[in-house]
Amino acid sequence: MLTYLLRRLLLMIPTLLGITMVVFSVMAVSPGGVGAQSMVDSNMRPEQRKALTDYYNKRYGLDQPAPVQYLRWLNNISPIGFTQDDSGKYTDFSFTKGMNLGESFYYGRPVTEILGERIPITLLLNILTIPIIYIVAIAIGVKSATQRGTGFDVSSNMIMLALWSIPTMLLGVLLLGFFSSIQHWQWFPTAGISSRAAKDMTFMPHWGSLWDIGKLFLGMLVGTALAVWLSRWQERSLRAFLAGVFGLVAGVWMAQAHASFSLFAWIVLPILGAAILAGIGWMDYKPFRVIGLGCFGATLGILFALQFIHDGFVRGFLFDRIWHLVLPVLCLSLGASAALAKIIRSSLLENLNADYARTARAKGLDEKTVLWKHVFRNSLLPLITIIAGLLPSLLAGSLIVENIFSINGMGQLAIEAVKSRDRELVLSITWLSGFLTLIGYLIADFLYTLVDPRVTYD
Amino acid sequence: MTKQIVSQEALSHRLLRKTLHGSGVKFALFWIGSLIICAVFAPFLANSMPLVMSKAGSISFPVLTYLTTEDLAVLAAFFTILLLWLAPLKFSFKVNLALFVAVIAAVVVLASLFLKPPKLVIYDDFRTPSYTEVDWRIMPPIPYAPQDYLRSYGGTGLEAPLSAEAANQERLHLMGTEENGADVLSRMIHASRIALSIGLVATSISMVLGIIIGGLMGYFSGIVDMLGMRLVEIFEAIPTLFLLLTFVAFFGSSLYMMMVIIGVTSWSGYARYIRAEFLKLRRQDYVQAAVASGLPLHSILFRHMLPNGVAPLLVAASFGVASAILAEATLSFLGLGLVDDPSWGQMLNQSVTSASFNWWMAVFPGGAIFLTVFAYTLIGEAFRDAIDPNLSREAGVQ
Amino acid sequence: MAAPLLVVSNLCTYLDNGSEVVKAVDGVSFTINKGETFCLVGESGSGKSITALSVIRLLPYGIATHPNGQILFNNEDLLQIGDEELRSIRGSQIAMIFQEPMTSLNPVFTVGDQIMEALQLHNPEMTVEEAHERAVQALDQVQIPNSRERMHDFPHQLSGGQRQRVMIAMALACEPDLLIADEPTTALDVTVQAEILRLMRHLQVTTGMSMLFITHDFGVVAQMAHQVGVMQQGKLVEVGVVEQVLNRPQHAYTHQLLEAVPENLARHKNPELAKPLAEQQLIAEPLLQLRHVNVWFPIKKGVFRQVADHNKAVDDVSLDIAKGQIVALVGESGCGKTTLGRAVLQLEKPTSGSIKLQGSELVGLSAREMRPWRAKMQMVFQDPQSSLNPRLLIETTLTEPMQVHGIGSHQEERLEIAAKTLERMQLKREHLWRYPHEFSGGQRQRIGLARALVLNPEFIVCDEITSALDVSVQAEILKLLLELRAERDLTLLFITHNIGVVEYLSDQTVVMYKGRIVELGATAAVCGSPQQEYTKKLLAAVPRLALSS
Repeated sequence: MLTYLLRRLLLMIPTLLGITMVVFSVMAVSPGGVGAQSMVDSNMRPEQRKALTDYYNKRYGLDQPAPVQYLRWLNNISPIGFTQDDSGKYTDFSFTKGMNLGESFYYGRPVTEILGERIPITLLLNILTIPIIYIVAIAIGVKSATQRGTGFDVSSNMIMLALWSIPTMLLGVLLLGFFSSIQHWQWFPTAGISSRAAKDMTFMPHWGSLWDIGKLFLGMLVGTALAVWLSRWQERSLRAFLAGVFGLVAGVWMAQAHASFSLFAWIVLPILGAAILAGIGWMDYKPFRVIGLGCFGATLGILFALQFIHDGFVRGFLFDRIWHLVLPVLCLSLGASAALAKIIRSSLLENLNADYARTARAKGLDEKTVLWKHVFRNSLLPLITIIAGLLPSLLAGSLIVENIFSINGMGQLAIEAVKSRDRELVLSITWLSGFLTLIGYLIADFLYTLVDPRVTYD
Repeated sequence: MTKQIVSQEALSHRLLRKTLHGSGVKFALFWIGSLIICAVFAPFLANSMPLVMSKAGSISFPVLTYLTTEDLAVLAAFFTILLLWLAPLKFSFKVNLALFVAVIAAVVVLASLFLKPPKLVIYDDFRTPSYTEVDWRIMPPIPYAPQDYLRSYGGTGLEAPLSAEAANQERLHLMGTEENGADVLSRMIHASRIALSIGLVATSISMVLGIIIGGLMGYFSGIVDMLGMRLVEIFEAIPTLFLLLTFVAFFGSSLYMMMVIIGVTSWSGYARYIRAEFLKLRRQDYVQAAVASGLPLHSILFRHMLPNGVAPLLVAASFGVASAILAEATLSFLGLGLVDDPSWGQMLNQSVTSASFNWWMAVFPGGAIFLTVFAYTLIGEAFRDAIDPNLSREAGVQ
Repeated sequence: MAAPLLVVSNLCTYLDNGSEVVKAVDGVSFTINKGETFCLVGESGSGKSITALSVIRLLPYGIATHPNGQILFNNEDLLQIGDEELRSIRGSQIAMIFQEPMTSLNPVFTVGDQIMEALQLHNPEMTVEEAHERAVQALDQVQIPNSRERMHDFPHQLSGGQRQRVMIAMALACEPDLLIADEPTTALDVTVQAEILRLMRHLQVTTGMSMLFITHDFGVVAQMAHQVGVMQQGKLVEVGVVEQVLNRPQHAYTHQLLEAVPENLARHKNPELAKPLAEQQLIAEPLLQLRHVNVWFPIKKGVFRQVADHNKAVDDVSLDIAKGQIVALVGESGCGKTTLGRAVLQLEKPTSGSIKLQGSELVGLSAREMRPWRAKMQMVFQDPQSSLNPRLLIETTLTEPMQVHGIGSHQEERLEIAAKTLERMQLKREHLWRYPHEFSGGQRQRIGLARALVLNPEFIVCDEITSALDVSVQAEILKLLLELRAERDLTLLFITHNIGVVEYLSDQTVVMYKGRIVELGATAAVCGSPQQEYTKKLLAAVPRLALSS
C-alpha cells in the first residue's frame, strides 16, 4: 500500500509540471505574451510607459524569454531550489527554501495572502453543498431504483434530467433576479456572503424580548405538527386536496408579496403552489412526503409567527451568513444532485439484480435488509469515483456562482486573474486546482481500498 | 450464383430504431430540428432588409446582396445533406463524406471569389424611403437584423417585450430588446447558428483528436500508452472552464478560435473511451481471428475494431455537443466570449448587469440554452439505453 | 416407503419481458421424497433453473407470474403463502445454492459474517458467540481446513471450490429439509467437481436432507440422483428412477440426449473415420514441432514496476503433431492449454523455444513474413457471442481472408467457395447475407469453423469450441469435425476439459498441468491406463454414465 501511495505521489509531479507548462505556454504563445505591456496603461506618454515597463520587468523578471521565466517560477515555487537575495541574484541552493508563490501583478500583494483569503470562502460554499447533494441524491436514487418503472421513477427521471440540463448560470440568474431584486420578491440579498453591517453584529441573533423567541418556536412547532399530521393521513386524495389548498394559499400570499402587481404572478403562482403541494401529498414515498410537507409547515409557521415579532430583532452574524448563502448553495447543489441521483439509480439497479442479492433473498432476508445491508455497500464504488470528480467540478461550478452572486472566492479570483493576465496568479491557481484534483483522485483510490476488500494495491 | 438478398436489420439500424423509440427523444429531435432550420435560414428569418421588393416595376432581392460566404456555406451544407439523405441512390459513408466536403469546398471557393457583400451594413438605410416607399415588399417574419441597433429610433435600450415605448414608435418586439437596442428574438435566431456550429465543430475536433490519441494508446500499449495517459491526465486535471478562460483571455475570442479552443480542451474523455474500448476489443475473438487470418493492420483497426468501439463514443459525443454549447455560453456570460456576434450566453449576462432584473433577457436566451442542452442530453441518454446490453436482455429468460 | 417432502403439481411460470410472455415452465409435476435426490436435467432454455427458482419464488416480482399450479411443502402451498412466512421458510427449511460462487457471495463481507447472518436471521435467540461457533462447525462440516482462520477471509481470497463449499455451509447452517442446487459444479474444474459431489452425497447421508439438483450433465445425474426428471422447453417429458431413465429411456427426447453424450457417441462412431497412425507417418516429419516452448508473463512489483517474478503459463513444452491427427490438449483451468494453442498460432509471442510448421521456424518471424503461414493454420474460438464481428455480413467475414491470401481470382469465385463451405456446415447459402446476431450459438460456431476452413488450412486449433454449447449441438459438431478431418486431411489440436469428448474424438492426448505436459500418448493408452498420478486423478474425477451394454 505504501509503495502504491509513493508511486502515485511521484507520478503526480510530472502531471503537475505538465499542467503548469501547458498553461504557461498558452500565456507565452498568445499575442501579447507575458510581457509587461498588459499592465501598462497605453494612454501614458512614451517615457512614462517605458519607465513603468522597465520597473515591471525588473521587478517580476518579465523581460526574459519565456522558458527562463518558467524556470524561474518553478524555482520559486518548489521547496527545494535556489534562494534569491533582494537584488534578484541567485545565491545558494537550499533544501528548505520554502515555497514562494510570488506576487500578484494586479493586486500587488503576495499570492499566498490572496489565496488565503479567498480559499476559505470557496471551501465554505462547497462544503455546505456536498452533504446536501449526497443526501438528496441518495433519497431520490434509492427510491427510483427500488421502484423501477413506477410513476415516481419515470417522473423523477425526467425531472432529474431536466435539472441536470439547466445551466448553473441560468439558475443563478433566475434565482438572483426573481428573489433578490427590488422588482420581484426581495427575500434574499443580492451580493456577497455577508452584509456590511453584519461584521458589527453579534454572532447569534438577538431578539427584542424573550417572548419573541417563544412565538417563533411556537409558530414553527404548530406549523410542523399540522403539516406532519396531514402527511400521515392515509386517504390519498383527501390528503392531496388539502395540501393543494395550502399550496394555493401559499401561492396567493407569494403573489401579493410581489413588489408590483403582476397578473402573471397572481395566476401562475397559486396554481403552481397547489400543484406542487398536491403532488407531494399524492406521493407514495412516505419519508419524502413527511419531510416535504413538514418543511413547508415549519416555514409557514415561522413566517406566520414573524408577523407578530416586534422590533428589536438583530439578525446576528450567523443568520446573516446563512441568509446570504441560501441562494448560492441552492444553485450549486441542484444540478449536481440530479446527476448524482441518476448515477446512484443505475448503480443500484445493476446491483439489485446481482447474484449475491439473490443469495441474500434465498437466505430469507427481507428486501429492506437486502437493499441497505448488501446492495448499497456494493453500489458505493461508482459513488467514490464521483467524489474524485466532484472537487474539480464544484470548483468550476462555484466559478459561475461566485460571479453571479459577487462572492469573493477562488472562482471569482480566477476570472479576474485571467482577465487581467496576471501571470503569477494564473499559474498559482492552475497549480493549486490541478493539485487538488489529483489529490481528489488519490483520496478516491484510497477510499476504494476501504470499501472494497478486493481492491489491493501493491 | 448467390443472389444478394436484402438482409435483415444491420446492427446500426436496430440501434437507431431503439433510440428513436421514446417520446423524449422525439421532442429533442423536434427542438434540434427547429434550431437547425433557424440556424440555416437565419438571414431569411430575421433581417432588417426586405426579402423581395418591387420598386417602380422592377423586382429586387435585397437580402441576397448581403449574404456572406458563411451563409451560403451553411445553406449549401444543409441542402447537400438533405439531398444525400433523400436521394434514391445510397452511397457508402466515405463517398457521402467526400461529396459533402467537395460541395462545401466548391461553394466556399466560388462564394469568396464572386460574392462581395458590403462590409459595413447601415441598417437605418432600410428604413429610408428608398426601401419603404415601394409598390410592395415582403419582409422576413422578424423584421430586425441581429446587429441592427435601431439607432433611428433613438435611445432604445433594454425594453421588455411588447413594451409601451416600442408600441409608440411602431416597433413590435416579441421578446424585447437588449441593451444596445437590438431585437432579442432576431439575435436568438442568429445565435442558434453560432451555438450549433460551435457545438458540432468543437465536438468533431475533440472526437478526432480523442480517437487518434486514444486509438494509438489502445492499440500500441507500452511507452505510447504511458505517455498518452500522462497527457490525458494533464488535460483532465485542469478544470476545463479555467483552461478555457485562460485560452480565451489570452488568444482572443473570434468564432473560429472558440471552436478550436473548446475542441482542444475536451478531447481527453473521448481518448479514454476509445482506449478502453480498444483494450477490450483487442481481446475479442473476432479481432484475434482477424489477426490469425493475417489481415492487414488497417483492416483490423478500421473495419473490425473501430466500428465496434464507436457506440459509447457516440453517447459521449451527444453529451459533448451539449457541454460545448454550454461552454461557449458560459464564456460569453463571463464576458470572455464573442463580442459582436450574437450569443445566448452574452444575452443572459445582460439580464443582471443593470440595476434592475431584465427577466426577458434571462428567460428567453436562458431557456434556449436549457432546451438545447436538455435535447442533446435526452438523445445521449436514449442512445446509451439502446446500446446497453443489460437493459436489452429479456428479464430472466436466457 | 419414502415420504414425500415436496410435491409439485402442474407448476406454470410465465415470464413477461415487456413485449411478450414466455411460458418458461409449462405444467411441471414431480415429487421429491425425504432423504432423496431429484435431478432435473435439460438443455439450456429448458426451464430447469426457472423451476428451481419458482419453488421458493425467487424470480423478480413484476416479471414472473404463476397462473397455475401448486407446490406443497409440509402441506403448505408455497405459491399461496404470505411474504413473511415465505421468508421464514427460505434459508431455514429450504436452502438454495447457485452456479457461480464468486458472484453469489457478497464480496464485501467476510465468509464468517455471511454464514452467521443466515444463522442469526432464523435463530433470533442465538448470541453472537453461539452463532460464531455454529458457523465454524458448518465450515468443518464442508471439510474446509483451518475453519477458524477462514472465517475472516473474504470470498475473493478463496479458490472456486472453497467458495462453493462456503455456499454449501451457508445453506446448511440452519439445517434445512430441502437443498436446491442450481448447477453448483458446472463452473468448477472436474477434480473439484468430484470432491464437491462427494461432499454433497456425504452430507445428504449424514443429515437426511433431500436435494433438488439441477444439471445438464448426465454423468452427474448418474452419480447423484435417485430420481430424474428430463425437461424440454418448459415441459417435463420424462420422470422416473435413475436406472430406468438412463438405461431404458421412454421418451424420444431423452433418448436423443443420451445418445449425444460423448461417451455414448463412441458407440456409434463410424470406424472409417478413425485413423490410427500409419507406419510411414510415424517416421515422416511431423506437421508441427514444438521444442522447449516457454510463454512467461512478467509480474511487476515495487515503486518502479520492476519485474519481480514470472507467471509461467507455458513451461518447457515439447510436442510433435503428425499430419492428419486429432490431438486433444486436456487440463483444468489455468493449466496453460489455451495459451499454448495461441502461442502455436503466434497470437501470443513465445518467450523462448521453437515452433516449426512443416519444418520452417515460426518463432521470431515478422508480421509480414508470417502472413503466408497464417493461411495454413487457423483457429476456432470458444465463445460464440464474440467470435464473429457483429458489424459485418457473414459473406464479408468469410471472403475477406480469402481476398488477403489471394484465394479465388475475383469476388464471385470467393462467394462460391464461401457458400459451398457454409453448405458443408449444414447451413444455407442465403445465410451469407445475414448478420451474426441472427444466428444461434451452435450456428455461430459452425460459421466460425467455416471461416477457418475457407483458407484451406492444414492445421486448425479448436479452443474449447463446444464448451458453451448444449450436448446435442456439441455431438453434431464433433461428428462434423471427424468427417472434415477425413475429407480434407486436416490436423486438429483440440483443446478441451471434457474427457468424454477426448475419448470420442482424439487420436492422441496431451495432459497439461500448471504449464507443463504431464502425460502424452495415444488416447486409448492415456485414458485407458494412465501412468501419472495427476492423470489418474483427472480421469477418476470424471462422472461417468453407467453403461448397460
